[in-house]
Amino acid sequence: MIDEGLAETLLDEASKASPILAEVRMESRDNRQISIKSGQVSSIMSAHDAGLNVRIVLTSGIGFASSNVVSKPEGLKLVQHALKQAKNARRKTPVSLSPERPVRTSWEVRQKHPLVDVTTEEKLELLRAIDSAVIKTGVKVQGRYYELKDWETSGYFVNSEGSAIRSFLPRLDIESYNLVSAKGETEQSLRQFASGGGWETKDEWHLEKVLPDEMRMLKRQIEKGKRVKPGKYDLVCGPEVAGIAAHESCGHPMEADRILGREMSQAGKSFVTPEMVGQRVGSEYATVIDDPTVPGTYGYYAYDEEGVKARPRYLYKEGLINEFLQNRETASKFGIQSNGSSRAENYLREPIVRMANTYVAPGDFEQDEIIGSIKEGVVMHSFTEWNIDDKRYNQKYVSREAYFINDGELAGPARKCTLEVTTPGFWGAIDAVSKKIDFVPGECGKGDPMQSMSVTMGGPMVRLRGVTLK
Amino acid sequence: MSELAEIAERVMEASREAGATDAVAEAIDTAVRQIRFSNSQIDAVNSWSERHLALFVAVGKRVMSSDIRELESAESTAKHLVSLAKSSPPSKSYGGVAKGKQKYRRVTADRKIVDLRDPSKYAWDAIVAAESEGAVNVGGTFYAYHESVGIASTGGANGSDESASVNLSVRAFSQPEASGHAVCCAPRLSGMKAGEAGRKAGELASRAKEPAPGQQGKFDLVIEPLCLGSFVQSTSGMMSALRVEISNSMFINKIGKKVASEDVTFADDPTIDSTSRRSFDHEGVPTRRNVLIQEGVLKTYLHNTSTAKRFRTKTTASAGPLIPTSSSFAAQPIPVHPVLAPGDWTVDELISDTKSGLYINNTWYTRFQNYATGEFSTIPRDAILVIRDGDIVGAAKNIRISDNMMNFWKSIDALSKTSEEVYWWEEAAPPSTLPTVRARQMNITRSA
Repeated sequence: MIDEGLAETLLDEASKASPILAEVRMESRDNRQISIKSGQVSSIMSAHDAGLNVRIVLTSGIGFASSNVVSKPEGLKLVQHALKQAKNARRKTPVSLSPERPVRTSWEVRQKHPLVDVTTEEKLELLRAIDSAVIKTGVKVQGRYYELKDWETSGYFVNSEGSAIRSFLPRLDIESYNLVSAKGETEQSLRQFASGGGWETKDEWHLEKVLPDEMRMLKRQIEKGKRVKPGKYDLVCGPEVAGIAAHESCGHPMEADRILGREMSQAGKSFVTPEMVGQRVGSEYATVIDDPTVPGTYGYYAYDEEGVKARPRYLYKEGLINEFLQNRETASKFGIQSNGSSRAENYLREPIVRMANTYVAPGDFEQDEIIGSIKEGVVMHSFTEWNIDDKRYNQKYVSREAYFINDGELAGPARKCTLEVTTPGFWGAIDAVSKKIDFVPGECGKGDPMQSMSVTMGGPMVRLRGVTLK
Repeated sequence: MSELAEIAERVMEASREAGATDAVAEAIDTAVRQIRFSNSQIDAVNSWSERHLALFVAVGKRVMSSDIRELESAESTAKHLVSLAKSSPPSKSYGGVAKGKQKYRRVTADRKIVDLRDPSKYAWDAIVAAESEGAVNVGGTFYAYHESVGIASTGGANGSDESASVNLSVRAFSQPEASGHAVCCAPRLSGMKAGEAGRKAGELASRAKEPAPGQQGKFDLVIEPLCLGSFVQSTSGMMSALRVEISNSMFINKIGKKVASEDVTFADDPTIDSTSRRSFDHEGVPTRRNVLIQEGVLKTYLHNTSTAKRFRTKTTASAGPLIPTSSSFAAQPIPVHPVLAPGDWTVDELISDTKSGLYINNTWYTRFQNYATGEFSTIPRDAILVIRDGDIVGAAKNIRISDNMMNFWKSIDALSKTSEEVYWWEEAAPPSTLPTVRARQMNITRSA
C-alpha cells in the first residue's frame, strides 16, 4: 500500500520554497523471475520494492532525490537534497516548464488472469513446454535458456500545481536465448515477447509454435541460405525490421532533449535540428507514430511521469518531420505544451524524454501484392546485428530471416543480408506499405545512469526501391 | 563487525533456522551524487540512495533469491523466502555456495568522497578546460559513489567492505560533427583531474574538425582505452561460464586455445586500486587476480561455486549479484575490473609506425550477429583521426567497424606502455584499466 498522506506531506514541505514546480512520486513494485537452462530450473526470484522521489524545479536548476527508504524523515531529507541541488545547478539560462492542466485521476491496466495469481509451477510448465517443443523439432539447438519476468507497479504522483494521479501497471516478459547449429555453422536467436497486461496476454504469442518455427527457419538459413551479391535491389522489410528502423532512425532523433543536446555525452545528439520541422526526410509513405496508448502493449501508459496525458505523436508525417517527443522542460523551450513523453525506469531515476510504442503507419497494400510487385529483390523479415550512429543518421541491419524474391515469387533463403543505409536513404526509398501491422517488444536504453525502458516497435511490410544490399 | 555485516548475519541465520541448507545474505547501502551537464551548463543535480539486502537461499537443490528492500522485516521475509524455496521445483544443476572461513583485505574508502556535498566544481572545471582547447559545446556527467556492503553465508563467509569513487565523463564539440571524449575515474578525490579530462576532450575535438566521410576497406586501427573499454565489455562478458553454458559466447570450447595475439595478456583484477575494487565476490569469496588470457591463450572462464562445479574446476571468486540485474542473469559470474597488460610502445610511436590507419577515440553501439562466432559491428564516435605514413592528416566521420571480435584480439600487434582506467556509461563498463592498442587490417564499412 502506498502512503499517499506521506506524499502530500512531502509535497507541502517542498512547496514551501515556492519553486516553479515540486513533484513527489511514490512507487511500489512486486517483481518475480524464473529461468530455465536446458530444461532445468536455473533461478527463481521474488521481490518487493518500494520507494519515492522528490523533484524540485527552480529557475536556477532541477534537483532530483530518491530513496528506497519510505519514511517521513527520509522523505524530508530528500526534499532538502532536491532543493539544495536545484539551487546549486546555477543554470545560465533560467529553467522554465510548459504550462499544463492539473490532473486528478486514477488509471490502471486490468488483467483477466492477474500475474500475482500465477504460480511458479505454472510459469515453469510454460517454459518447459516451450523448451520441449523446441527439442521436438529435431534441430540441434544449444543454449536453450528461457527467462520469464513479471511485475506489477503501483504509483502515486502529486505535484504543486494540484495534480494527483494513481496508477497500476502489470507487465509480463519472456525472453529466449538459443543457438541453432547445422553443417558446422551456427545462427543466433535472441527473442523477446512482452506485454502490458496479465497472464492471458501470453496466449497471443503462441510460443510453443513460434519458437520451434524459428529454430527450423534458422536451420534452413544455414543449410540453404546464399549470400546476396552486393548491389542495388528492391527490399521488403517485415514489421520487425520496419519497427526497429522506426525506433532507431525516427523515434530517437525526434526526442526533443536529444535535439537540444541534453544527451550529448551519452546517447548522443540528433541529425534533426529545431528548425527542421516541416522538412522532408522520407517519401509520402513514411509516416511514423509513437503512441503510448495502444492497449496491451509493453510500452503502454496513460499519463506520463510529469502527469501529462499520453496521446499519439506523429513524428514523421507523410515523409515530413512533424512533431518531436517532448517533456515539460523541452516543450517550454519550443513554446508549446508537452506531449506526454516523460518516463522513468523506476522511482530511483529522473524522468526523461522516451518513446513508448513506435510504429510505421499502415497503408493500403496487401503483403502478397508488395512481394508480387518485385522483379529482383529481398524480403527481410527479421534482424540480428543492428546499430546506428549517435546522430541517428547511419544505420545497419543484418537479417536473421530473409529470402530472395525473383519475378514476384519467394525464392530461397538469403543469409545475413546487410542493409547499411542513411536515415533519408531508408525513409526516402519507401514506395509501398501494407495494411497489416505487427509489433515486437524491446528494451530501449537511454539516460545516465542507463534507464532501460519497456517499448514496442512495429509496422507493416514496407517496400524500399533500389537500396544497396551487401 | 559492521552494522551491515550484522544484518546480513542475522538474515542468514534466520534463513538457516527456517530450513535453508545454503544461504548468502548481502546487505548493501549505496549513496550516489550525480551532476549532468550539457551545452556547457549544468542540467540537473541528482542524488539517490538505496539500502537493501540481496538474499539467496537453497533447500537442498531448491533455490530462491530475493531483493529485500525493507531491512526492518528482513528476517521474516527471509523465513518466507525459505518456505517458498521448499515448495519450488529443484534446480538440478545447482552446485552450492563456497565453504570455509574467509579472510578479506581491508581497504578504507576516501572520506573526502563520502563527505563531498557539492561536486559541481568538477563539472565546471571540465567545461572551462575543454573550452580553453577550442570546444564550443561541452557535456558530460560527474558521479560520486559510496557503497558499503556486509555479507554472510552458511558456507562461513562473513565480512564487510566499503568503497568510494568519483568518475567524470566529458564530451566536447568544436563543430557540430567534431567532438572528443575523455574520462577520469578515481578511487580518491585527489585523483579527480577534471581539468585534464576536459582539456583532452577539447583538444581531440579541435583535432577532429572538418571530418570527411570515411573510406571503406581494411585499415590499421590505433584504439584508445575509452574505445577499447567497449570491446572489453563484450569480450569479458563472454568469459562468464554461464554465458558459455548458454552458447552466448565466442569462447565455447576455447580453453587452452589461441584466442588473441601473443601480445595479449588479459586479466580480471578486482583487487587493484580502482573504482570497482571489491574485497569479496557476491558469494563472499575473497577476490583475486584471474588471468583469463595469457599471451593469447584462453586460460579460464569466470566462475562462481556452482558453475565451477559444473565445469569441474574451482571458483574464480567471480560470483555476480544474487539477483538478476539489467546487465547480468541471475547467478551469472561477472568480470569486475578487466586489465589488459601494457606493452612497450608510446602512443606517438603507435601512430608514427602506422602507414594507413585510423586513430579511434571512442565507440558505441557494439552489437553481435552471433555471439558464438564473434561477428560484430560498432560505430566509432568522437575523434576519428586519419593516419597516413605515420602522421595524422585529417579527421573522418560516418564509419563503422564491421569485423569479428576474436579476429580483433588476434590482430593486435602493439600496445602502449601507459594504461588508463576507463568507465563510460554502459558502453565502457565495467571499469577497466587498459592501454592504447593497434589492431592490424580491421574492416571498415559505411552507409551506401
